[in-house]
Amino acid sequence: MDFNLTEEQKMIASSAKEIAEAFGPEYWRQKEEKGEFGDEFWKAIGDAGFVGIAIPEEYGGSGRGTTELLTAMEELAANGCGMAGVWYLILTEVFGGLSIVRHGAEEHKRKYLPGIAKGELEFCMALTEPDAGSNTLNTKTTAKKQGNEWVIEGNKTFISGADRAKGMMIVARTTPKEKVTKKTLGLSLFLTDLPHELVEVKPIPKHGINYSHSCQVSFNGLRLPENALMPPQDLGWYSVLDTLNPERMSFTAAAVGIARLAINKAVDYSKQRKVFGDVPIGSYQGLQFPLAEAYATLEAARLLNFKAASLFDNGADAASVGAAVNMSSVAAVENATKAVYWAMQVFGGYGYAKEYDIERWWREINLIRLAPLTHQMALNYIGEHVLGMPRAYY
Amino acid sequence: MNMIVCCKQVLDPEAPPASFKIDPANNKVVPPPGVPPVISPFDEQAVEAALRIKDNQGGKITVLSLGNNLLRDVVKKPLSMGADELILLEDEAFEGGDSWSTAYALATAIKKIGEFDLIFCGRQAADWDAGQVGSGIAELLGIPSVTVAKKVEAVDGKARVERVIADGYQVIEVTLPALITVSNELGEARYATLKGIMAAAKKQPIIWKPSDIGVDPSQIGAPGRRSKLFKLFQPVREGKCEIIEAETPAEAGTNLATKLREAKII
Repeated sequence: MDFNLTEEQKMIASSAKEIAEAFGPEYWRQKEEKGEFGDEFWKAIGDAGFVGIAIPEEYGGSGRGTTELLTAMEELAANGCGMAGVWYLILTEVFGGLSIVRHGAEEHKRKYLPGIAKGELEFCMALTEPDAGSNTLNTKTTAKKQGNEWVIEGNKTFISGADRAKGMMIVARTTPKEKVTKKTLGLSLFLTDLPHELVEVKPIPKHGINYSHSCQVSFNGLRLPENALMPPQDLGWYSVLDTLNPERMSFTAAAVGIARLAINKAVDYSKQRKVFGDVPIGSYQGLQFPLAEAYATLEAARLLNFKAASLFDNGADAASVGAAVNMSSVAAVENATKAVYWAMQVFGGYGYAKEYDIERWWREINLIRLAPLTHQMALNYIGEHVLGMPRAYY
Repeated sequence: MNMIVCCKQVLDPEAPPASFKIDPANNKVVPPPGVPPVISPFDEQAVEAALRIKDNQGGKITVLSLGNNLLRDVVKKPLSMGADELILLEDEAFEGGDSWSTAYALATAIKKIGEFDLIFCGRQAADWDAGQVGSGIAELLGIPSVTVAKKVEAVDGKARVERVIADGYQVIEVTLPALITVSNELGEARYATLKGIMAAAKKQPIIWKPSDIGVDPSQIGAPGRRSKLFKLFQPVREGKCEIIEAETPAEAGTNLATKLREAKII
């Protein structure tokens, strides 16, 4: 068992760190405030090849795996970008790139992957619905065959990046729920170009991460050619797991990265700040212990996340990947939230001021207990699928 | 165009100041734990200057680094940016040197490399800030040098260099071969790309020991020092703030003037 990064992985981490330092907290404070996309950052990581890390070389990427992708994501987040260092990569490289690499037909790969790898073709995924959040199997958006075309009807919500993306993966029901022999059957994946006159996109005002807009999306009779389907038809649930697992790993990398960023800032401040006498507040165990505890447990979450990535990259079965993914997510969510909470406590009232950035990271870290799935759903997964306990919900 | 760039591995100058520590008994800086070293930032800009020439007219870039136990993922960075070859002067005998012994070893290695048109160095290393190695190499090789460049072009056997001065820049033409030290005004060095990183990871550096380049052992590393370090210490900086209390602005001004007079500042 080797816990060391390879020379190449260390260089990837170092390059990510350098880019993150050039697009640090002040840059993202302004982007968040204005609700603007970080174009300059996106161009920098695109030019450096980060959007194509996990895309095969024959399609313009670097042919590496999620291990390298997570390494880059964590360093981008931890060295100044916070959630932004991970978010854009999830939308385009994970939702677009990894989905198509694993399940796209050759023509899909040729059409989309080179643009994705360069960062020129932003992507998004239309999965979540008003009544199908944690329960994807309740998806109501339909794709019905009419002649040689698929007609898509339905509504999606919280579709991040849909207002800018040029490509979208849609999860839709191709066989009604009541007609399938197994509830995990009947969903299929489709690819479409955006913008499209029959796809309505409306941003939803939200709590944070406003440098990317999350949108309501309506498909109003969107007609797609037959080959827009990513085969196999009706088995889309199994295919989309290969998108959802890396998405969760990416969120864990974000949690660890944001927590590292907040802890480092808090530790530096705590060594200088004196309130009572000549002793810096960093010497107070009331601040030290919770930060130390969060840091230690986040290191455990990080290692477990790399285990999940290794399993995924080496073709392990979905159950093994899912177990590692959900366990690392649980550890990361609980402790990254604690880490940012205590970083804010270190700053006292200043922690509430925007110019210190902690309050923005606090808003960012609070998404991770809700998305890509709620913390409680990850616990449910472990209870049911890892411990073999009875399912609590139907 | 054959170019050589000298790059030094240094402690990260961006490491938190609180992590900076000195071992006073040995007059050495203690590397901060958990903060990996980096290529000196001015040296990265020297690589960038060479890459810009290579972008325009082609050529080969050889990177030369000196030290001991150099970290491969650090010293290979110029390769990941687009340099072609890495030569490491790596041996414990090179440790503990100063500007002279470093310039001597590098100049001797450059003679062994043989053909070159341009040598680039950073204007100074981010650890000691001496800024003498570049000019020292040029002196030892008997070639002209231009320091503190912000732009370098190579045309018709000459280099045209914009050299930074206090209130602007000079334009200097120098015949090749020549040595140029590069300043931060050149602009940001490019990022390592994934493709560059993958190529760099596959390349193996060429390692030269002192005997490979034929240096005089008494002139390299600690024995070769021509400068003596008497004391290495961290200066203590203290700032105090005193609020001048008064009922009116005029009275505050009077009180401030009195304080300054008492302190013999005015």
